[in-house]
Amino acid sequence: MITNAIRTRRWRWAASAAVVAVTGMSAAACSSASSGSGSGSEPQSITFAFNNPSGNEHYFQNAAAAYEKAHPGVTITTQVLPAESYAQAIATRIEGGNAPDVFEAESGSGQTDSIQPFAKAGELLPVTDPTVKAELTPASLSQFEYNGKIYAVSLGSAVNGIVYNDALAKSAGVNLTASSTFSDVMQACAAAKAKGKALFGLAGSVPVNTGILAAEIATSAVYGPDPNWDAQRAAGKATFAGTPGWATTLNSIVQLYKAGCFQPGAQGAGFDALTNGSAQGQLFGFFAPSGAAVDINTASGGHVHLVALPFPAPAGATYASVSSDVSIAGSAHTRSPKLVASFLAYLASPAGQKILSTGSGYFPVGTTSASALSPVYQPVASMITSRQYRNFPTIDWPNGKVYADLGSGVQGLLTGQTTVQQVLQQMDSDWTTP
Amino acid sequence: MSVMSSPAKPTISKRDDVRPPRAAHSSLVGYGYWWWVLPALVLTGAVIYLATATGAFYAFTDWTGIGSYNFVGVSNFVKVFQNSQLLGALVNTVLLAVGFVVFTNVIGLLFALALNRTLKTRYVLRTLIFMPVVLSPIAVSYIWKFIFAYNGSLNQILGDVGLGSWRHDWLAVPKLALGCVLVVMVWQSIGFVAVVYLAGLATVPRELEEAAAIDGAGPWRRFRRITVPLIQPSLAIATTLTLIQGLRVFDQVMALTGGGPDNATQTLASEIYQQTFTYQEFGLGAAMALVLTVFILVCTIAQLTLTRDRT
Repeated sequence: MITNAIRTRRWRWAASAAVVAVTGMSAAACSSASSGSGSGSEPQSITFAFNNPSGNEHYFQNAAAAYEKAHPGVTITTQVLPAESYAQAIATRIEGGNAPDVFEAESGSGQTDSIQPFAKAGELLPVTDPTVKAELTPASLSQFEYNGKIYAVSLGSAVNGIVYNDALAKSAGVNLTASSTFSDVMQACAAAKAKGKALFGLAGSVPVNTGILAAEIATSAVYGPDPNWDAQRAAGKATFAGTPGWATTLNSIVQLYKAGCFQPGAQGAGFDALTNGSAQGQLFGFFAPSGAAVDINTASGGHVHLVALPFPAPAGATYASVSSDVSIAGSAHTRSPKLVASFLAYLASPAGQKILSTGSGYFPVGTTSASALSPVYQPVASMITSRQYRNFPTIDWPNGKVYADLGSGVQGLLTGQTTVQQVLQQMDSDWTTP
Repeated sequence: MSVMSSPAKPTISKRDDVRPPRAAHSSLVGYGYWWWVLPALVLTGAVIYLATATGAFYAFTDWTGIGSYNFVGVSNFVKVFQNSQLLGALVNTVLLAVGFVVFTNVIGLLFALALNRTLKTRYVLRTLIFMPVVLSPIAVSYIWKFIFAYNGSLNQILGDVGLGSWRHDWLAVPKLALGCVLVVMVWQSIGFVAVVYLAGLATVPRELEEAAAIDGAGPWRRFRRITVPLIQPSLAIATTLTLIQGLRVFDQVMALTGGGPDNATQTLASEIYQQTFTYQEFGLGAAMALVLTVFILVCTIAQLTLTRDRT
């Protein structure tokens, strides 16, 4: 019994010692981690996250590989995240203090992964290299800066429109061009449907896809006649619900849906429906940034020649939707701020931009030169060079909720769950959300 | 003189009188138990209760998840109960939870009864039924998403067997989409519940059932009067766990519908995620999480009260 008592006592002391030791080790580990982060030489390994809707966008990896080759000893680990949840994933990682060192983001403030709210919260690394500023026009500069500092590198500009397989459509007797009208679209829908195909593919369950369709139509219906509509909305002089162009936009989508312009099951479809439908030749176009066309053309090895088309205005003149919102930012909490700054500067340099623009098809912001455009833009080249376009609307919207509810609202219209006025009123309500 | 020696009374020391022999070192062991349990207590407190308390703190702020914040009192809680979308999420959560408890337990109990004693292949069948439980809910849900897709195998099978009129865009029709989520939840959890009931059924003496059968009790009466009372603890555990699981459903909703179409299948958990990370209203999300926690607590206590063993 005495032996047991002694043994028990020994165990007790051993347990106490273990607790103290574990506590001490934890404290030492914390101390060591703290001292490590403050050391002079920073790690030469960083992470680089981006999304990849089609699975073929290799230009980010190419740019990272080129930088690694030019800077021996540097390792850039790329992280390809699912496109459907990319914005939420990045926002969650930033909020959780686990942001990638470098990541793809949106300029402005209107989407979940837009840079300005992150910059305001001190989550982004300011980009001071002069080449970053040099590639931006004065008009687009405001989308990339906060309090006078630039926080991201632009990938250039792209057309947000219809990514269209013209050859396939023509083989089915369907013809759509940049000068087509909305009624031409309706006729093309009927022609495609008669052949057992769909003119357009729509990922109805993915708010960014239904959102981009609405934004494309609103480019002509709302921002065509009133390029400063966002400023008026911000000043309280206009509302979504009170602007006829927005109602026209959403009614047009319902009209397209009822006419069978989208593939069967569009209202519940995901991105996979676009990929599969395009690959099987079941649909002739879908709504996406023009980079998707370049990407698919490249991946097909020259067998497919997709082009970018503007979405025809429901009434009046058609404007192309051009955005320079896709950008690359660095985390303020990176352990390698010099390396991140150097990599961002490389992406903004002519060498980096060449890799990115070759892969993505993005063109220099504000260009008026047709020679700067890839063949994908041939149908809309004159609209770009003559500046018959409007910026993508969401960039200046105050938060990501407005665009998210536009996207889910369009799905609700297709399923009959909501009305046009309800969607627009919800967007007005979201606009004023602090 | 003879001395009658009376049987000596056993002399019991005061110490032995008050404590059984093992009690001599029980205080040492008891003292030791506290030291042993301390790290677990500290970790539990820090990881669960401190984290919950921190989250609760943000429920009274307008924090976006990044940057600074202001105190806004109880306005986030007012929003929770005034927002029709959030109330819709609450209704969906209750519907899913109730459906999940009922269907999972009924089907799970039926499987357990079927596989309890008689079938020769019961061990193989038990393994097969339990197999979905070990799979990732997200992976399972994505597979079911392909099944439910408009061009998916469910519609193809319906078409092949001449039931083309039954084909639907299952995940795009609000009521059907909620049902699809429930189907996936139930399908994956039946095996777990069946195992709980099998453990309970193992405690039911065969002799008792045989005696009742000899006395003329039919299968239903034996089940109601003998089996159910004896598996009451299993019933309480299975219903409590499935209720909690049903109330906090998230994975299946996110993978199958993402809360759509147009928020028709949002639950409290998915709505919390949407408010917090998509809309970046961390304060509102924290308030909703607190409401969900209290809601689960109340439901669980009520359910435990209903299913407790009163014998």
